[in-house]
Amino acid sequence: MLPDRVRTLIQLLSRLPGVGEKTAQRYVLFMLTTDSDYGAQMGQELIALRENIGHCSLCGNLAERGGSDEPICSICTDHKRDPHLLCVVARVQDLMAIERTGAMRGRYFVLGKLLSPLEGVHPEELPIERLKDRIASQNITEIILATPPSVDGEATALYLRRELAPMGITMSRIASGVPHGGELEYADPITMGRALAGRQRLSR
Amino acid sequence: MVRRLSVEQLSVTNIRNLRSVTLNTSADVVVFAGRNGSGKTSLLEALYLLCTSKSFRAPRPAESITHGQTEAVVRGRLLDGTVGREQRVLLRDGVRSARFDDKRPPSLAAYAQASPVVIFHPGDLPLTMGPAQGRRQFLDRVAFYTTPNGTKALDDYTRAHRARQKLLETRGVDAPDIDPWEALVARHGLELMQTRQHAAAALIDATEHAFTQFAAPQLVLRGRYVPTAPDDEDSYLTMLQNSRVGDSHRGSACIGPHRDDLELTLDGQPLRQVGSQGQHRAAVLALKNGEITAIERARGTKPILLLDDVSSELDAERLRAFFSFVQREQVQVFLTTTRPEWIETGAFGEASSRHNFEVDHGVITRI
Repeated sequence: MLPDRVRTLIQLLSRLPGVGEKTAQRYVLFMLTTDSDYGAQMGQELIALRENIGHCSLCGNLAERGGSDEPICSICTDHKRDPHLLCVVARVQDLMAIERTGAMRGRYFVLGKLLSPLEGVHPEELPIERLKDRIASQNITEIILATPPSVDGEATALYLRRELAPMGITMSRIASGVPHGGELEYADPITMGRALAGRQRLSR
Repeated sequence: MVRRLSVEQLSVTNIRNLRSVTLNTSADVVVFAGRNGSGKTSLLEALYLLCTSKSFRAPRPAESITHGQTEAVVRGRLLDGTVGREQRVLLRDGVRSARFDDKRPPSLAAYAQASPVVIFHPGDLPLTMGPAQGRRQFLDRVAFYTTPNGTKALDDYTRAHRARQKLLETRGVDAPDIDPWEALVARHGLELMQTRQHAAAALIDATEHAFTQFAAPQLVLRGRYVPTAPDDEDSYLTMLQNSRVGDSHRGSACIGPHRDDLELTLDGQPLRQVGSQGQHRAAVLALKNGEITAIERARGTKPILLLDDVSSELDAERLRAFFSFVQREQVQVFLTTTRPEWIETGAFGEASSRHNFEVDHGVITRI
């Protein structure tokens, strides 16, 4: 019933996370009925996306490709950042979440994966050497391990702690606890338990 | 003040041979009588789904849906103390979704914890006789209700233990990341041991007491949680490190919660070895009593009790003893039986607070 081209586009769009076939169909009809520039611009941007965007060769964050040089992201080139502080995260999404807080003064390192023998992810698949190079070459003195508080995230943090220990740098693990502005009575028991275990001393 | 949980009304669509059923269930005891295969157990399955969003018969949601249909719905009006609420569980495309008063619960585990249910069916009889796995699962079921974190400790331990095992089997005992995984096995193993210890403490007193009512009163049943790993992290870790070679061949770690047991003794002797058929049955009933009491104390709510075909497994006297306990506890009971003639004998409690239904080929009639 639908023209082939429309059907193909619906199929392509419905592969996007969170988009089902009905939503995809709405998108396609919207693009057909709205002004012609919109679809054209989106098409051009999609083609340009893979051509122009890559991963930062220093930290793994998203970065613009510029000519023949390896891409470097805007955080790694930001001179106002503390050059000696590095935050290790699992994914680019986690970097973005921390960045939104504005509380991180240093730079990042994206692992891309977490250790998981059950899914076949072993230490050799983690960019450990690149991380060590970065620490050595950029004179990093402090590392924050910000992998998620899951079993795999904890295992990865423990592994990194052991691997990086000989480098003699300060290492810390992100805290886990009750959210700001939240009521204690609504905190889930795991979070509450962690908040108590990781309490901070106010006086002796 | 302990609240009583009850299902006042139940409606079921497309659960096995129940195409469309609505029942008034506001009674202390609800009896479903009928022949084998008539749909009695499917009604208990629907009630269990309503309370937990899971089935006790089928591991996958699709298996509970009527053949040829794509979705099933169970709705119910529950009374939690004096407060009523609507609950609904929908099964579709292999996915479960649950609602309280049309609102999404924080998680399916939170949904299940809010309406505790205890089930006793013929498959429970090997609980005291069979391998330790059944007793561990039983303990974890109690722990699901008695610890706020539900199955978190069990899930984390299982993942860490499986990861260490996979590593030993595929990468050998010197895998570079074996240490972190072992540290997590010990950390989560200790969490799970604490959780189970807590559940066992809540369970055992009531079980021991109840046993005297179902078996000869001079017999003493004792229960004890028996962990296999040491309770300090350093010794636990050392033992794991020393057993890597053996563990890689064995398929699991030589110590840890996956080997724990709930040990039962009768007058000091292992129940598994010395117990008669009747004593085992009495012990299983006593454990179910313990489960009801433990849940009641931990959650402040008396659970709903589902009894599947107990009249085929228990003699009249034991059934009467069990029922008198249940009625003292004032829990709401749903039971199935192939022996409608037992209803009149009072084996299932007094007529005044009982609703009886006949089930035939998925059609239900009040009798």
